[in-house]
Amino acid sequence: MENIVEVNDLAKAFGNKQALNGVSFQVKKGETFGFLGPSGSGKTTTIKILTGQVRQTAGTANVFGIPAMKLAKPAFRQRFGVVTDNSGLYERLTIYDNLKLYADLYHIAQKRINEVLEMVNLQSEYKTQVQKLSKGMTQRVLLARALLHKPEILFLDEPTSALDPANSKHIHKGLKELNRQGTTIFLTTHDMEEADHLCDQVAFLHKGTVQLLDEPKNLKRQYREDIICVELKSGRELELPLDASSAADIERFISEEIIERISTKEPTLGDIFVEVTGRELV
Amino acid sequence: MTFSIKRCMAIFQKDLKNLYRNLYVLTTAFMPLILAFVYSRMGEAPLELHMMILTLSLSLVGTFLQCAMIAEEKEKNTLRGLMLSPATVPEILAGKSAVTTLITLITTYLGLLMMDFPFANNGLLLVGSLMALVIFIALGTWMGLVTRTVMEASIYILPVMFIFGMANMFIGFVHQYAFLQVLEYTPGVQLQEIAELTGVTADWAQLWQPFAIISGWLIVIVALTVITFNKRMMD
Repeated sequence: MENIVEVNDLAKAFGNKQALNGVSFQVKKGETFGFLGPSGSGKTTTIKILTGQVRQTAGTANVFGIPAMKLAKPAFRQRFGVVTDNSGLYERLTIYDNLKLYADLYHIAQKRINEVLEMVNLQSEYKTQVQKLSKGMTQRVLLARALLHKPEILFLDEPTSALDPANSKHIHKGLKELNRQGTTIFLTTHDMEEADHLCDQVAFLHKGTVQLLDEPKNLKRQYREDIICVELKSGRELELPLDASSAADIERFISEEIIERISTKEPTLGDIFVEVTGRELV
Repeated sequence: MTFSIKRCMAIFQKDLKNLYRNLYVLTTAFMPLILAFVYSRMGEAPLELHMMILTLSLSLVGTFLQCAMIAEEKEKNTLRGLMLSPATVPEILAGKSAVTTLITLITTYLGLLMMDFPFANNGLLLVGSLMALVIFIALGTWMGLVTRTVMEASIYILPVMFIFGMANMFIGFVHQYAFLQVLEYTPGVQLQEIAELTGVTADWAQLWQPFAIISGWLIVIVALTVITFNKRMMD
């Protein structure tokens, strides 16, 4: 499959602080790519470089096969959408007026506004002034704005960080549908469940470099501990090796009907991140 | 590069709606009207007073509105959104400048109307005033680029108000304070020069000078704004 994003040895320094240091990865067209890392690891800087807002210090960053810096030219801005943590809305205007401005800037028919409002579950709130919205609702308006022009690739920086579970679920459903329709999604998140649920491929970013890059299921397989966890009705918990040596014990537990619960031990993406980087994803 | 009227109009409409709900900026912008109202109650006003209202309206409203609109876009992180949309810099600036021009012209006209300014036979003054308006909008754009918040903008506007907006009044003290002579070269005093000259003659041998000084200001301020904008396009 064709790569829509190609990043090689990307580096960015802000004064003495090295934000990115030799980052390399590719994003295939049509996939959802998760860029995971703790605060300050360089996720937002990467998005800014990929959307032409910031110039890298070294390395290459190509989007659609062209250097990302050229995306700053108006002709390319139709092709991508972006929601970052510092995107702003016009607070004195209504949700509808905010979206209408961008519909006009992209030369998009007004009916598309209703479609995106439905996607983010805000169709009944369209007359509300933005300054009266909660953080979660504001986040949904920003997402609606980024979806207006049906971008080929959508860059999302922590899109559900301020949302409650019900609204996160609604957004996830919308993103999955969008991805099914062919939109490539580049997603940064702290939420490992979100990454696991949405992403075809994830990269772990730590101290300005990509520490691990693979599909979530491969990572889980790779970092799986070959252990069977058995909880007995007495409350006792056992960890047995996942091989033939445990068969006799398990058979005995089953015949004696003393098993409360039995499972294999599968790591979450969060567990893998901690194992690889030695720190929590916060 | 194409220029889209639709995009320009979208920004114009957005800024007008936004401004309509921004009482702080609107109140500051309408200050010249309050002054004009007060002066209109004091009997027949001399040319100097008419020119002060004209200059104060152009400089205070033109500069502050433009500056406050850009500073607020930066403060609220909305300028980044516009810059990531297909809107070009000329479209964004044209949309904003159109709002500033509209409000400034309305304020200036109403202020002069209140003071019974004789509008007839003042074509050259109109040309000079429009040139001065471009200077002050460019100055407002530059100030908007170098300020970070609306509050900061409202502090930066004070020297503009005193130096450019009230130069016509301060120039009366030039015999007592020689350093005020420098104010003779401000656009406002040059507009007064045009008004005085066209009142007695339309001789270009004398009129070229105020227009040349205003043109000089125009070139310098526009160039400063363009250079600053290009430098600040990137973070």
